[in-house]
Amino acid sequence: MIYIVTALPCEASPIVKKYDLKRDSACRHFPLYRGDDMFLIVSGVGKMASAIATAYLIAQNVKLDGAGGEEGLAIINIGVCGTLNQRYPIGTPLLIHKVIDHETGKQYFPDILIEHPFEEGSIETHNDVVRREDVLSGRVELQADLVDMEASGFFQAASRFLALHQIYVIKVVGDYLDVVDFDRQRVAQCVSGVMDALDGFIKQVEGLCRVEGDVLTQDERLQLERVKESLRLTVTQSHQLMDMARRYKLRTGRPLPDLSEFIQTRVKVKAEGRKAIERIRKLFLYE
Amino acid sequence: MRESESCSFMSKFSHIYIEERAAAYPVAQHVLSRFPGSIRVMIRHYKDVFNRPHQDFRRQKASTKLILAVKQEPFLYPGPEVCEDFGNQNFYYTSPVLNCIYDCDYCYLQGLYPSANIVIFVNIEDFCKAVDRQLESGPLYLCPSYDTDLLALEGIVPYASRWIEFAGTRQGLRIELRTRSANYSAIADLNPVEQVILAWSLSPHEVARRYERLAPSLKARLTAIRAALQDGWQVRLCFEPLIKVHNWQQVYREFLDEVFSIIPAERVFDTNIGVFRMSKEQFKRISRLRSDTDVFAFPTVCREGGVVTYEDEKEIRGFFYQNLNRYLPEEKIYG
Ligand code: SF4
Repeated sequence: MIYIVTALPCEASPIVKKYDLKRDSACRHFPLYRGDDMFLIVSGVGKMASAIATAYLIAQNVKLDGAGGEEGLAIINIGVCGTLNQRYPIGTPLLIHKVIDHETGKQYFPDILIEHPFEEGSIETHNDVVRREDVLSGRVELQADLVDMEASGFFQAASRFLALHQIYVIKVVGDYLDVVDFDRQRVAQCVSGVMDALDGFIKQVEGLCRVEGDVLTQDERLQLERVKESLRLTVTQSHQLMDMARRYKLRTGRPLPDLSEFIQTRVKVKAEGRKAIERIRKLFLYE
Repeated sequence: MRESESCSFMSKFSHIYIEERAAAYPVAQHVLSRFPGSIRVMIRHYKDVFNRPHQDFRRQKASTKLILAVKQEPFLYPGPEVCEDFGNQNFYYTSPVLNCIYDCDYCYLQGLYPSANIVIFVNIEDFCKAVDRQLESGPLYLCPSYDTDLLALEGIVPYASRWIEFAGTRQGLRIELRTRSANYSAIADLNPVEQVILAWSLSPHEVARRYERLAPSLKARLTAIRAALQDGWQVRLCFEPLIKVHNWQQVYREFLDEVFSIIPAERVFDTNIGVFRMSKEQFKRISRLRSDTDVFAFPTVCREGGVVTYEDEKEIRGFFYQNLNRYLPEEKIYG
């Protein structure tokens, strides 16, 4: 499950279109869109707004999400940003490896473990719009490659709930801190231009965050239940049996070995059960 | 881990996090020169990265990052009770590197730190100065390869050779460099130093193959040991932890036969035996982290003092001792 947070509707619209997301009219607090494996929320501008929407999205939806719950999801903040560095052409997407909050000076580091198609960079989140002349005159000193107004709020909120490999910030260079008239279409174009790369990245992230369901099949669970019964295993022994079976499957990748002889055995005294479980242990360890 | 089936991880050390104050140190420059293609991220303090909450140890192990940092006092720590001091007074350990490039299923480092990333402290001179200060009050027995495997890392940061050279110039200092690597060639050009013991951890092929991921095979380690002995180094063999496997008696008997068919027993400095043991908390934490291994499949008990070990720990130790004793006299066997 992928959660996406954008600040503006024009940043959201290419994503909504690409994944055919539907507006959830039941959500009164934010524009919220949903698809099969995706939620998208439009937070509004600013780090506080981003943090609130991020926390809302995670807290509201984690419990609805069957596949692995909190562990199986990832959250991505996507949007445009500014930079003074002309090295980045307009429309360049960057995956952020360091987020600096300008006002508090705090730094945050996502965990980048998977291959990705983006250049990487750092971003500094400001409360106010940063203009070129502020930087050139020395009124504002920049510590990072990029400037935005959301990333630090998003990251702080998301990392309250999720592990670091589940949180990503992707920013597309939209301007050189020289915006005079805000142009929604241009912003939407910037995000549209990275949709293919984003799509590939999302697949990678899903792979990374996938939580496997129970490795035992229903048949195998049934078989083990029968073994427990016929061997009259204690609660502890039953736990051990299930644990051994799961580890066997994880280690070997094969179906469980044949346990029918244990199902046919009817033990009368506990000691026999103990002996049988030792034999099963050997079977699971060395089959 | 299964996740790797569905995503491709970045290579080891794809990112190097560098403390601002560490960047200028020669060791930092050396490490960086080894990884020209890595992405460099400047940080204020290594703990800003290493101690972040909610890191996933197993996933990080698949794409470990390096962190270069400057260590502050204390540099030396008294050796813990549970570790063998081999009859040495003033047993201390020091950690110029945190975490290890190998990935043993039973490793106590798993979850000991909040991160699987490797920290290299670049101010090695400060560690050496701390040793000199300690030496003023008497001899010192020091383990600098304690929370890591320095010889395995020698190609990245030459700390094994650094400690060897340092020990060679100090009276009263004795150093144990413990390793699971086969990387003897990285230090083979150094002259053997009397104050240094190269200590190799060895496990039967069956244990190494199943539970010591990324570490070299038993054969490779034995070849390295033989070369070190031939060059005149003092070599300690550490049979620790003894991990129980099916037919363990036969496995461990044949293992010792193999070891001493390659290594001349009379040249071995000493050995130690340690049946698998771990604090209850560590055991719980690692069992939780590692659902993908059956290394803890044999029944364990929690002894007084909260130590988890095999229920037949004594029997395993006794058996191993007897067999080791076929090759080595009692006074060369510790633990
Ligand atoms: S070699 Fe030692 S430190 Fe490294 S993973 Fe194995 S047990 Fe842990």
